[in-house]
Amino acid sequence: MNDHSTHVLLIEDNPGDADLVRLRLVDGKTKVEVSCVNRLSDGLASLKERPPGVILLDLNLPDSQGAETFRKVLEKAPNVPIVILSGQDDEELAIKALHQGVQDYLVKGAISSNGLDRAMRYAVERQALLRSLEMSRKQQLEFKNQFLSHVSHELRTPLTSIHQFVTILLDGLAGEISPEQRDHLKTIFKSVNQLGAMVRDLLEASRAESGKIRIEPRCVPIGDLIRQAVAMMQPVAHEKEVGLEVGVDTRIPFVHGDPGRILEVLINLIENGIKFTPQGGAVTVQACLVQTDPDFVYLSVADTGCGISPEARALVFERLYQDPNSVDNSRKGLGLGLFIAKELVNLHGGRIWVASELGHGSTFSFTLPLYSLAKLLFPVITCQGNLRDNVVLVKAVLRPVTMTARANWKETCQRCLEILQRCVFLDKDLVLPPMTVAMAEETFLVVASTDLERANIMMARIREQLGKVAELNGTGKLELTAEAVSLPDPGSGRSLEEQVQEVAAAVNEMVQTVLGGKQGSENK
Amino acid sequence: MTNSKIMIVDDDPDLRQALRLRLRANHYDTVNAADGYSAIALAYKEQPDLIILDLGLPAGDGFVVLERLQKDDKLSTIPVIVLTARDPQSSERRALQSGAAAFFQKPADNAELLDMIRASLSHAATKPVLPS
Repeated sequence: MNDHSTHVLLIEDNPGDADLVRLRLVDGKTKVEVSCVNRLSDGLASLKERPPGVILLDLNLPDSQGAETFRKVLEKAPNVPIVILSGQDDEELAIKALHQGVQDYLVKGAISSNGLDRAMRYAVERQALLRSLEMSRKQQLEFKNQFLSHVSHELRTPLTSIHQFVTILLDGLAGEISPEQRDHLKTIFKSVNQLGAMVRDLLEASRAESGKIRIEPRCVPIGDLIRQAVAMMQPVAHEKEVGLEVGVDTRIPFVHGDPGRILEVLINLIENGIKFTPQGGAVTVQACLVQTDPDFVYLSVADTGCGISPEARALVFERLYQDPNSVDNSRKGLGLGLFIAKELVNLHGGRIWVASELGHGSTFSFTLPLYSLAKLLFPVITCQGNLRDNVVLVKAVLRPVTMTARANWKETCQRCLEILQRCVFLDKDLVLPPMTVAMAEETFLVVASTDLERANIMMARIREQLGKVAELNGTGKLELTAEAVSLPDPGSGRSLEEQVQEVAAAVNEMVQTVLGGKQGSENK
Repeated sequence: MTNSKIMIVDDDPDLRQALRLRLRANHYDTVNAADGYSAIALAYKEQPDLIILDLGLPAGDGFVVLERLQKDDKLSTIPVIVLTARDPQSSERRALQSGAAAFFQKPADNAELLDMIRASLSHAATKPVLPS
């Protein structure tokens, strides 16, 4: 604070206190300009018009009290230093505020010009310091990401060369090879694949760390996904003579998640299980429902391997952790797999943990949220505590020009989904998560809080927008239909939750019919 | 029946050679380009049935090549398979939106790549001819 005067925003409703503070401010060494408001809403509104250099904040205002007050200011003005003007009775609260980002506090009645001056100056300096620290932290993270992205790109080029020529030799494209030569080449091939996986994990872990992994949740038949993961890992298990078994409760409903990412987690855990299980042992993948936690499905991968010590158990999900006492003397990898798995599970809103006893194997478990139509529908089909008047199910069936356009069909579907999202009102219409895993034909469903007449307008909008997608032109198919959903009687005296449940059940039944009854029942 | 002609565009000579060997073993004819500029020139001259395209190229990167191909009526029907060391999260969507038929990250699985080549070629063959 030098020649320029500092703009001080004083938010204080007691005129006496406000005058006193103003007086102290004028007496102080710092040149200030004071704007005083007596309501929090006025204070927040003035932030945009004229950003203050510092905010002096009373916590008990006509329109906001206590912790709520500084939380709101912190949220709206995260970069402006705040000094709280606290009463003697709420000093404790002021101290709490310091932990949440408020810079300082002064107790009213004991405010001197010097004290106020210093508190403001320090608040401004500290805030600036914090901001520059935060910025350099972000820059470093960004630099690390760029660096890793660059390195992994550069590593892939020679890796590809090795991969290509080894497979050319292995496939006999450069002449016959002896069985011994074949064995050696296979070793190289395996190592190259390991290297490739490490390069991938490196980039993925750095992304996870900076929150850059995105998931695209769908309605996923989890049993199928588990069987797919097991089928993919069966050759690896077979080679090591480790059993690989599945036990999936067939009544398990759908999961709300990103199938590709869930597969990644499953494969990682199964691969680990096989790696640490001796010949003759077994890895078992299971999925079940737990009564005490009805919104989640519990998945587990159990092995009969060496187990994990209690000290190591606390650390296995940490980045770069490798068990130093691991009896497995084969190559260990980077120690990023479980870290990435944890991040992916957390992104889905689930959790992951391990139970193990040394010498008696380990069981890695994680949870994934069940797909609940009622939960997704609730915010769109209710309004101010009541069910909306009309609900319609709009169906859009898409089919590409030819079957071989499958190449980018998945991409097309994703784009159509995004277009569809733009054709609806987000507060009262819901585009249901896609039901199939990228088949040749995709059915999109929209639950719209509207009547049939307006649904027709919506369909015209969708037809126009989706019609622009090249892959659907010509022989491609785009079919749109709408059907009203019957709603429960509002006078039935049931809670809103129960009514939504009922609508969800009705919608679900219609969805089943639309999809030809191919999907299992969804009873949530 | 004559072999389909595939154009390989990659600035790494080793990779061009490896791909050439692999494709010839699968009865495809190949032509090569090492940069974006010559890729476009060669596409006009050779009219390949399919293009395997790297993204990081000198003299006009893969995206420039994709855009140029899309702008030409004759060349826009040639299926392009992108084969790159770049990260799919940052490049896959853009490549597909720029007109690529498929995206593979290096090192790609040979069987999967060959499957995609076969599928794209047969798709291109059945594509309706646009009225002029």
